[in-house]
Amino acid sequence: MNEDFWLVAPITVVWAILAVAYALAPWGDMIGYAWVWGFGSVLFAGLAGLLARRCAGQAGGSGGVGHGRI
Amino acid sequence: METTYRERFAALPAPDRRLLVAMVSAALVALALGILGGVLTAAARAGFLDIIPNTGYRFLTLHGVSIFFYWLFTVQAALLLGFAAVEEGRGLAWRGAAWAGFALIAAGFVVSTAAAFLGMPPLYNGTPELASQNPQAMLVFDLGYLLLGAGLMVLPVSAIATLLTPRRQGRRERMSSVGFALFVWAGFLMVSGFAALHAFLPGALWVLGLAPFPASQGTDWHIVFHNMHYLPLMATVILWYVLMRELTGVHSVFGERFSKIVFSMYLVFVPPTSLYHMFLEPDLPGAVRVAGSMLSLFVSVPTLTAFLIIVASLEAHARTHGGRGLFGWIRMLPWRNPAMAAVGVAALSMGLGITFAFVLIQERLAPLLSDTFFVPGYFHFFTLGTVSLTLLAALAVVLPAIGARALWRPGLLRWMPWLALGGLLVFGAAGVSAGYLGVPRRVIDVAYQNQAPALWQGLMAAVGIGGAVMALALAVFAAGIAMSLLPQRRSTLHTAPPTLAWGGAVALRPGVRVWVGPLSVLLIVGAMYLFTALGFELMQALPVSAIGGGGGH
Repeated sequence: MNEDFWLVAPITVVWAILAVAYALAPWGDMIGYAWVWGFGSVLFAGLAGLLARRCAGQAGGSGGVGHGRI
Repeated sequence: METTYRERFAALPAPDRRLLVAMVSAALVALALGILGGVLTAAARAGFLDIIPNTGYRFLTLHGVSIFFYWLFTVQAALLLGFAAVEEGRGLAWRGAAWAGFALIAAGFVVSTAAAFLGMPPLYNGTPELASQNPQAMLVFDLGYLLLGAGLMVLPVSAIATLLTPRRQGRRERMSSVGFALFVWAGFLMVSGFAALHAFLPGALWVLGLAPFPASQGTDWHIVFHNMHYLPLMATVILWYVLMRELTGVHSVFGERFSKIVFSMYLVFVPPTSLYHMFLEPDLPGAVRVAGSMLSLFVSVPTLTAFLIIVASLEAHARTHGGRGLFGWIRMLPWRNPAMAAVGVAALSMGLGITFAFVLIQERLAPLLSDTFFVPGYFHFFTLGTVSLTLLAALAVVLPAIGARALWRPGLLRWMPWLALGGLLVFGAAGVSAGYLGVPRRVIDVAYQNQAPALWQGLMAAVGIGGAVMALALAVFAAGIAMSLLPQRRSTLHTAPPTLAWGGAVALRPGVRVWVGPLSVLLIVGAMYLFTALGFELMQALPVSAIGGGGGH
């Protein structure tokens, strides 16, 4: 798993924690917040999963960044 | 040798170019309609235009919906796809998803525009209570945002697939910093699309008799609204990052990984900071208010960090290339390039916008200022000064490359951002002052049968004049950039605007000190303190006290 995965994973975790907190909040009818951040947490978990998946034929240590480098 | 973004966009496959041209054209139409609605609204508020209030609210609806939703998000989607397509230079993957998403957004734009002229004008948040007189009109309005939300969920799939393709094919393990930024930007767009569906589907179902009245739509709107603020700011700093490389050749002196961390921080900070939108809810417990206030302080951390990276990198390279004086190196930047001028104005506007945003989101001031003209007074520093000018700066680089021609009259266009800033300063100063004095927002006639203080109308006249100037400058800037989509006549050849090439083989001067970035942040913090103190002084001098609901604030 590379740095891209480890930088997306915290997004998933923070959004999941917030979603649970909003779902349980006894004030302000915050269930809408819970649904949106919960959906976001699941989406970014999926994106992190795509980043974690190793591909056939991948060299492994290649950090080549093509002409997108800045 | 690295290729420039202009070269990469010029080499895009024709189908991708057609998609980008279609999307940018639609975005520019939305911008034009939004500017028209904004000028008419400001003129009506200033008393320059004698119309009935309902007509004014229609103009305001057209302005808010066209600019805040369709201009900002259609052009963001176009730039996301464009930069994703050129990241590896192989064009878009899953282009069908991109076209489908764009079709949904375009359909939403048509429906939302029509809704502004049906029934009770719903402004841009479409409160369902307004539907009691004409539910069908509200259904049309909700349908517009539902189409937009669906489009925002479908379209970024193409960008994500494009960015993952090199990894899937084993050609690259890590993304570049720009690729990573585009990747998380795409994900955030999808979440915001979901938020729009979640907020407006219950209202549509209620009108159709399929669900109960959406009593919680106000809370759900907060989330859409929060994301719709944050996304364009995230897009702005990503584009600053890209444009500085294109215009000056400068790479981040902090390295790729640190840039990725900052882009990731954007999304880590989004949900916790959203709590301040609830400050007007009377049943919000005191402890939650305190927590919300503290969390809101983090709202600009990623933006200011990205700003620091960019300014420090520019200053280090400028000093290495002979820049002198605390601010003297800034003169070395390619200010004759309209894109550079737009980014410079955007950075100044962001400083002003952040200053007043921090005044507004404080727990004690939010209930007093949120329904005043303070809000439109400050947020145009973001929507026009920061975000729209940055998006147009990106188009000023992208469109000439796609159209295979030079930018139209760069000598004229480079002045337009500064003219817009002039109008914006008048608009903002008058608007924020009006807010401090209690002038309400979302009211077309503030005279109240001549019972209101005379100063209110004077301030609104200044808002109208400033608004007209900034609208004119923005319209000319956008139209000039749009000219790049037309074939260039041989008789009117324009030379390409200047750029720098500081990012070559020259090593940074050892021990170079960079001060302007940290000083800018210090200045913003000082200004925040000053305007907060001013706000409290003015509020305490008022002859009335504001009483909230159950919270008693």
